[in-house]
Amino acid sequence: MKNKFHLLSLFALLPLFFSSCNSEDPVPENDGEVITDLTLTFQEIDISGNSVGEPFSFKASDAEGIELNATPEVDIVELQRGKTYQMKISVSNSIAGEEITPEISTESDKHQFYFLGSAFLGIDAPAKYQYNDEGGINLGLEGIVITVPNPKANTAQLQIVLRHNHNKSYPGASDPNFEKYVNAGGSSDLDITFPFAINP
Amino acid sequence: MNIKILSYFICLSILNGVIVSAQAQDCSSSIRGKIIHLENNEPIEAAYIWVSEVNDGAVSDQNGNFIIKNLCLGKYTLSIQFLGHKTINDTINLTSIIFNKTYRMEEESMNLVGIEVHGHRDAVQTTSSVSALYGEKLLESRGETLGESLKRISGISTYSTGNSIAKPVIHGMHSNRIMIMNNGIRLEGQQWGAEHSPEIDPFLADEITVVKGAETVRYGPEAMGGVILVTPAPLPTKKDPKTEFYLLGASNGRQGNLAFKHTDGFNKIKGLGYRLQGSAKRSGNIKSPDYYQMNTGLSELNFSGAVGYSSKKLGIEGYYSLFSTTLGILADSHTGNLSDLENIIANGRPFTDGSFRYQIDNPKQKVTHQLAKLKSHYHLSENWKLNFQYGFQVNNRQEFDKRRGELNDKPSLDLQLYTNTLDIYVNHTHKNEFSGTWGINFIQQANSNIPGTGVTPLIPNYDLTNTGFYAMEKYSKGPVELEAGARFDIRNVQTARYINSKLQTANLNYQNFSAFLGGLFHIIPDLTFNSNLGSAWRPPNVNELFSQGLHHGAAAVEIGNSELIAEKSLKWINELEYDGQKTHLEFTAYLNPIKDYIYLNATGETYVSLRGTFNVYEYLQANAFFYGFDVSGSYDFTDKLQGYLRGSIVQAKNTEDDNYFPFIPSNRVEWGISYDFSKVDDSRTNKLTVSNTLVSKQKRQPNFDIAPAPPGYALFDVGYQKQYYISKNKLNVGLQIQNLFNTSYKDYMNRFRYYTYDVGRNINLKLNYLF
Repeated sequence: MKNKFHLLSLFALLPLFFSSCNSEDPVPENDGEVITDLTLTFQEIDISGNSVGEPFSFKASDAEGIELNATPEVDIVELQRGKTYQMKISVSNSIAGEEITPEISTESDKHQFYFLGSAFLGIDAPAKYQYNDEGGINLGLEGIVITVPNPKANTAQLQIVLRHNHNKSYPGASDPNFEKYVNAGGSSDLDITFPFAINP
Repeated sequence: MNIKILSYFICLSILNGVIVSAQAQDCSSSIRGKIIHLENNEPIEAAYIWVSEVNDGAVSDQNGNFIIKNLCLGKYTLSIQFLGHKTINDTINLTSIIFNKTYRMEEESMNLVGIEVHGHRDAVQTTSSVSALYGEKLLESRGETLGESLKRISGISTYSTGNSIAKPVIHGMHSNRIMIMNNGIRLEGQQWGAEHSPEIDPFLADEITVVKGAETVRYGPEAMGGVILVTPAPLPTKKDPKTEFYLLGASNGRQGNLAFKHTDGFNKIKGLGYRLQGSAKRSGNIKSPDYYQMNTGLSELNFSGAVGYSSKKLGIEGYYSLFSTTLGILADSHTGNLSDLENIIANGRPFTDGSFRYQIDNPKQKVTHQLAKLKSHYHLSENWKLNFQYGFQVNNRQEFDKRRGELNDKPSLDLQLYTNTLDIYVNHTHKNEFSGTWGINFIQQANSNIPGTGVTPLIPNYDLTNTGFYAMEKYSKGPVELEAGARFDIRNVQTARYINSKLQTANLNYQNFSAFLGGLFHIIPDLTFNSNLGSAWRPPNVNELFSQGLHHGAAAVEIGNSELIAEKSLKWINELEYDGQKTHLEFTAYLNPIKDYIYLNATGETYVSLRGTFNVYEYLQANAFFYGFDVSGSYDFTDKLQGYLRGSIVQAKNTEDDNYFPFIPSNRVEWGISYDFSKVDDSRTNKLTVSNTLVSKQKRQPNFDIAPAPPGYALFDVGYQKQYYISKNKLNVGLQIQNLFNTSYKDYMNRFRYYTYDVGRNINLKLNYLF
């Protein structure tokens, strides 16, 4: 920014004055902390753990990150009844062009996904979730989703919450469906709800 | 409004009655006067006044005032003496109950051997309401933040963020609506932010003065709510080494605080003196009655140095101060989204009990502030003085959030602010009744976001210039002082920032005229009334214009409005002060309408993102009406036992939609009794004080707040202060227990009331050694 300081010329004797006269030119910042895309990739598996068919995925994305007048676009998660799926989560930041999944994996002691909503909670929940991360840690980047054979309802809500800096050893915190996750402290990095449908 | 005016008239007429009835008695007249320096109008403390006819005398107080009572009508000869000044002999004819006169003392020639050159002291010369913290009161407050210390003055409260960030609030105004002067230079940090503490070390002050009136004319825009002056003692002008040490400890947070000050002059060069001062502070996690508040430690390191020379005609002073701090922010206040926030509000306190430690993690703030100034005055003639003052400030502010991976080591806000200020003004003082100041004030500011934060900057880079021309004149005669002044300001602000890779710029111009009118009347010798009506303005700040982004603590998206116009205010402040033998009473009332008051309004809308939901706040303007009063008084029950009381009420209404503004202090009263154990002829302090603070629930709440106002509370404090003489040196020992009963409470003015209870019991030991 170049300025016209008419009056400044009066005080040209002061050398300090000019060393700090103008502000720096602004530089665009890529918002690094923002998560713009969350992808759930499902792979059906059989009883012995072998893959069945091709993997498929559902996405929630918000190109602007945290910016006003933008609402996330969220796919409907559609699964079949009575099946077992491997579910992988990947998160990325399209603004800074950055994959966030490896960072979460590296800081697995500080992060944890919780799987909530009517899809997983209650006796009549149409699906069950288990952590299946490498090394048996409770993280949630990889997990198993089992759909019930005869769901009471065909639609539900699937809420995914990513907690950061919470107390992982808090009683109950190891449960992927831990509703009172706030009691373990920390804050939410993600809190997104997918519509969930069970097809015959 | 009318009732208030009426009550003043009633008050005045009662007082007139007192005067009239007293006139009937003989020998109950008084001589009252004020003694000031001829060259600069500053008050002279400890001048000696002798009335030879009655063999009685008096010594002028801190404000230069003196009273000689119980005189019969008749002729008297007054002799006024002060070291280094020409003695004044005056014959007066006392014909009424009260005689008033201002005496101006002229400095004696420097050629005289053994004459002390006095240091200049810039006490405020205003007819507005002024209160100061000095001496014993200041000693008691050592180790506290500036905001906390100032709570000892009625009408002053704090707007705080946790326990370590406390911004002073004068009559409901804070941040950009009040001004803080660091040794004569307006402190320019990032004061717009609610969680941005004033970048100043209270240990450098010998006196902290609060002007409660609108002082825009004298100090420039932004002084609409009042001014806080942090003033060191004058520099010595001859060899007189003095050193002072402070060692303070507090149980809560296990705080340690060390400070020193050394002043001296030189035998060889008369008029040359210097001062070195520094302080260090460290504290860990604060304890609420039932748990530790995690990550609430702080560390602070401050230094200042000054050197000055003064002769009969010329005075010159160089000053440098460095303030640096690292502040931990309560870990639980960093909420990810609205549901996090609602959960912790419902819980009322952090979910974990925490533990003690000194370590400071994210979220935290690292701030350094450097100030350099050069000040000079030159006596053009006996009556005219030319003043020059240049100040240069650099403020660096880094705020760290809890983030992932490498980003955790990077600040999410990284600002650098340069400020140049230049003041050139002339003072004139005449033996007749006029004195005044005319001047020009120039401010230039450059704010830059340091790249690499990985966050779109909350405020843009900007350049600001402000030029002000002002003139003030004061007329004083007998019991009356009248004062008036006017000022014209021109401001230009240019901003630039990238949002989503698009460059957004703005070029804004503001100009304004402001004026004030004030008066002071000594009604009877013990009673003074002053009144000040001042107009003020404040152009919108850059954050109000251009804020855009997520405010983590509040789970809020804040949106600026580039269409905002300047606020305009009118503050009428009246003060009645009674200073009797046993009773001291100050009553201050004010009316303060503000046009286009800028405030942050909750829209009631929410914003949904992958991270969850956020409240949306926007900057709006509305007409506001602030009014209220402060009371402060003390009464000596006996020579040993004294009681005191101070309280304040402030109302802040949005007159456009009949709503209240958020974060306005609720009604509060503090009262206490102190007992003096020292013998009558012993000047050493030996005093026990028990006090009680009562704060009511804020019932004047806005329609929307994320949590209701907390209930009122009562706190008890005990303090004991004792002074020892160790040969010629002095040792002051203070023991204070704050929140004696370890009460769990929340204060409406603490933004962290959403997340936690306030500080629990705190035991302080304060040692001060002077040699």
